[in-house]
Amino acid sequence: MKPLSFRGLALPASILIALAVGHLGVVTAYPYWAMSTAMDRISQDGAAVNQWRHGQRATGASRRIVRPSPDLANSSCVYDLADGPIRVTAAAWDGYMSVSVYSANSDNIFVVNDRAAPGGVDMMIYERGTARPSGADLVVESPSEKGIVLQRRLAPTPERFALAAAARASDVCGTLADRGL
Amino acid sequence: MTTSKRSRWIVPLVAIIAALATGAASGLLVVLKGEQIGQSSHDHWLGNRGVGSTRADPWTRAIIARIGLLALNRSETIYFTRYRDSEGRAFRADCAYEISGTDLPARWWSVTLYGADDFLPPNDDGAFSIDATRTLRDASGRWRARISTTRDGAQNWISSRAADSFDLSLRLYNPTPDALADETTIPFPTLTRLSCEGDER
Repeated sequence: MKPLSFRGLALPASILIALAVGHLGVVTAYPYWAMSTAMDRISQDGAAVNQWRHGQRATGASRRIVRPSPDLANSSCVYDLADGPIRVTAAAWDGYMSVSVYSANSDNIFVVNDRAAPGGVDMMIYERGTARPSGADLVVESPSEKGIVLQRRLAPTPERFALAAAARASDVCGTLADRGL
Repeated sequence: MTTSKRSRWIVPLVAIIAALATGAASGLLVVLKGEQIGQSSHDHWLGNRGVGSTRADPWTRAIIARIGLLALNRSETIYFTRYRDSEGRAFRADCAYEISGTDLPARWWSVTLYGADDFLPPNDDGAFSIDATRTLRDASGRWRARISTTRDGAQNWISSRAADSFDLSLRLYNPTPDALADETTIPFPTLTRLSCEGDER
């Protein structure tokens, strides 16, 4: 009996594997690429990491995040846990408000809103595999070292937006060292 | 290495590289054109139960990363997108539409118009959306809004000026347990085309 040659069996198998690797490679990598692009844009290429960046009211010229809601006051914070956990706070708001955390693969790993946190949000984020911190109302484990925190406040009019801008002005997103904690 | 030995390896190598490239191209095609994966449809309102979920499959996650990066998960918000009118025709900025309905089963809801580039259209009309807090209703609680390039006296208006082609996003923040459990219970807004510039047949 003739032994199976590379071209006889191994080649078709290799082609199938290469097809799958190429397909899944692109599909799996895309969310990381999209998040990386968003993180670069939000943090101004890494210059503004671990700090809130408060967005202006969305207009026809807004291009930072796709499909922005013109009815919400959004703030974003690119987090980097390389130097340990970070602290995130968001002041109370008399309408819908939420703080959500996105890992590097774009998953929405955590969200809390004003109904669950009527007095405002006080949160720590730490990286999976490192010591769990304490001292905040909420402690969130991130599967990735980097990601994005977003806060949304319902503010559909210029007047409400101005109030939201004032409410969020002293919100915190930063390392514990930054906060002297 | 002799020529025959080289050629013995070149063909499989080229085949494998071509397979890698074909696989990558098919992956890109799914990401760019695969909105239908995991999709639910209710009278042309398209949703996707995988949005924001940590349990989303890789294809859903990739598609959502393109069309709705940083969306909230379903427990917080349900998103629907609509590309067509009641007769299945794609929205056109040179046509006027009417969207109408009742209050939606959520703490807050909105309908927002986006251009084909997934951003708000570059106009300064300040009428990108209608929402639960501002929309005027009639005595029975029903609301209706005009979608067109000009307001034309409408009580509620979404401007499509400078949008060219467009689509609509329906957001339900903090949906009711019933809406979350069964999307078919949601009274989706209806959408009809009123008129188009010049080409009525």
